[in-house]
Amino acid sequence: MTDRSDKYSNKYKLSISNPKVFDAVKMGISILIGLTISFVILIFVSNNPVNAIITILTGPLTKTRYIGGVIQSFIPYAFAGLSAGVLFKAGAFNMGSEGVFILSGVVITAIATSPITTSSILHPILCYLGAIVFGGTVMILPSLLKAKFNTNEMVVSLMLNSVYAGVAAYLVRTFLGTVQRGSNSSKDYLLTAKIGNIYEPLKISVCLFLLIAVTIILYLVMTKSRLGYQIRLAGTNPSFANYSGINAFKLSITTAAIAGVLSAMGATTALLTQTSYYTPSQSLVGIGFSGMLLAMLGRNNPIGIVIAAFLVKYLEQGSQILYFVDNKVPSEIIAIIEGVIIMLVSSQYFLRRFRERKLLEEGLEEHAE
Amino acid sequence: MLNNIIETIFSMRFLLQVIRLATPIIFASIGAFVAASCGIGNIAIESIMTFAALAGIIGSYLSGSAWVGVIVAVIVGMLTALLITFFSMRLGADPFLIMIALNTFADAVAIFILFQFTGEKGSSASLATKSLGVIDIPIIKDIPIIGEIFSGQYVLTYVCWILVILTFIVLYKTPLGMRMRACGLNADAAKTAGINVERLQKLSLALSGLFAALGGAYLSINYLKIFTKGMVSGQGWMGVAANGIANGNYLSLILSAIIFSFFRAVSIIFSSNSSFPTDLVGAIPYLSVFIILTVVSIVNYYRIKRGKVEEQ
Repeated sequence: MTDRSDKYSNKYKLSISNPKVFDAVKMGISILIGLTISFVILIFVSNNPVNAIITILTGPLTKTRYIGGVIQSFIPYAFAGLSAGVLFKAGAFNMGSEGVFILSGVVITAIATSPITTSSILHPILCYLGAIVFGGTVMILPSLLKAKFNTNEMVVSLMLNSVYAGVAAYLVRTFLGTVQRGSNSSKDYLLTAKIGNIYEPLKISVCLFLLIAVTIILYLVMTKSRLGYQIRLAGTNPSFANYSGINAFKLSITTAAIAGVLSAMGATTALLTQTSYYTPSQSLVGIGFSGMLLAMLGRNNPIGIVIAAFLVKYLEQGSQILYFVDNKVPSEIIAIIEGVIIMLVSSQYFLRRFRERKLLEEGLEEHAE
Repeated sequence: MLNNIIETIFSMRFLLQVIRLATPIIFASIGAFVAASCGIGNIAIESIMTFAALAGIIGSYLSGSAWVGVIVAVIVGMLTALLITFFSMRLGADPFLIMIALNTFADAVAIFILFQFTGEKGSSASLATKSLGVIDIPIIKDIPIIGEIFSGQYVLTYVCWILVILTFIVLYKTPLGMRMRACGLNADAAKTAGINVERLQKLSLALSGLFAALGGAYLSINYLKIFTKGMVSGQGWMGVAANGIANGNYLSLILSAIIFSFFRAVSIIFSSNSSFPTDLVGAIPYLSVFIILTVVSIVNYYRIKRGKVEEQ
């Protein structure tokens, strides 16, 4: 028999029977399988597959500007991932993040191109505030329809994404465009609106600290607060949540608003740090959708999502460097690696038998003692 | 100018356009419907169509035969569907997550494969591929109006309408279809009645993959005769939406699919008229799906509330 202290030590035991260790091992094996499959593909595609896989894995470390590029570009994706993570945790399949990114880009551009203030601190803050209010509101619509009328939120949000893309393109063309860039893109942002880097070589800006702060707050809200508990409960067992008196309608609206705010923050960060003008058909396309994949990779845990965003952008940077070296391998190879990893990581039973055998062995050993 | 547009909408050319545009959406719709009637929401239709469209073009390029292309497309579509069942049934993953992942990666994976054959990321224009043509039905083609509608359509359009009828017969008139629908209505009860639920769900998802694949093959081999990046552009999702509106009613499924293709045709006509903002006109089909889906769900909500219909 085990006493209390034994059970406590079990929590930190470095064995596959410990769920946390098991998760880490599973993630590691999934990544290995993903890389192996991509290596097999590289054998067929590339003349020098060994070199190619090494370039993907270590390429970004070879120059500071590469790693700086990763640091700068991963932040908006991390925000998108956090946004999707909150929704998935609540069991909501609202995919409006993509639309929020593209449409709030218009709001950000409108604020960033108008001389409403001369302060270079206040101007970006105003951009963030405008986007947050707008993005939070826009994101609510599919969830509201779902909660009230049981409309299919997934289809609605996807269709709205396409509508928003058209609206954003129209608004930029008619009101914010400039003939110099063929009217598809906006005018240049005012210098006061742009966010500079604190440490130039690694492209570290205030936004990195904003992301860290938001991640910590979100982590605390999700694990320690009443709202976080309600969200998790609604995600794991909606009917129990309902019977325990949680207002499902209010909760789904709140969740969507939080997700919208996070996406809007991502959009603002992307535009103010990376570009000086907005092209609706280009600038922010795909970030919202990638967020869902990052949420799956990070198992809906805010900290896990941010790490996943960094690693994915790192691999993407590596594959882009590879394309420079070996133009037979398009950077889309990364999609295959990511796809395999995500599908394996979301599989509950993957490696389960392995763990069960270990548990059984340990149980027998304990019994023998 | 408005007269001009109304005149176009009531013209024969427009009707033919709607028929051509309806084919992939109807394929997608019956794909979503077959899976849903067995209790699985297949939201991967969009990605299956993308993979199949590409596989069809490559199959047709390698073999020199358009029909081999169609067969390759169908095999790839069914394999993709079975990949979903492998992850969801064997490995215990949430099927929705697997399908979302598939949809998100579909374009990038397709571009990667396309690049290996063409060296381009945009389209398969540089590949010499065979494509399917149209069928002229003897006698009927000489009848005025009717001849134009029923004859001279694309090959896969005929396949599509035959499958619409066949699917209806199988689902509603055969024991197999009844068992499949039983799984969708109450999987536990079906299990108790001795039905192998898992096997039927696999079958229905494979069928769903087959229909979606034919939709993709129609786009690449039959209609546009080329594979281009992002060519499916939400048509798979329109199928999913049509299934959501139908809510188990086969007739309204087909009707919704036709209405969606009507709005796609409208959007194409408006965009050829330069006096409208093209960005907004391009959004018309998606906006129409959004509005119809929302209105239908609101109407259903109030019907359930008033107690006219039992909640499902």
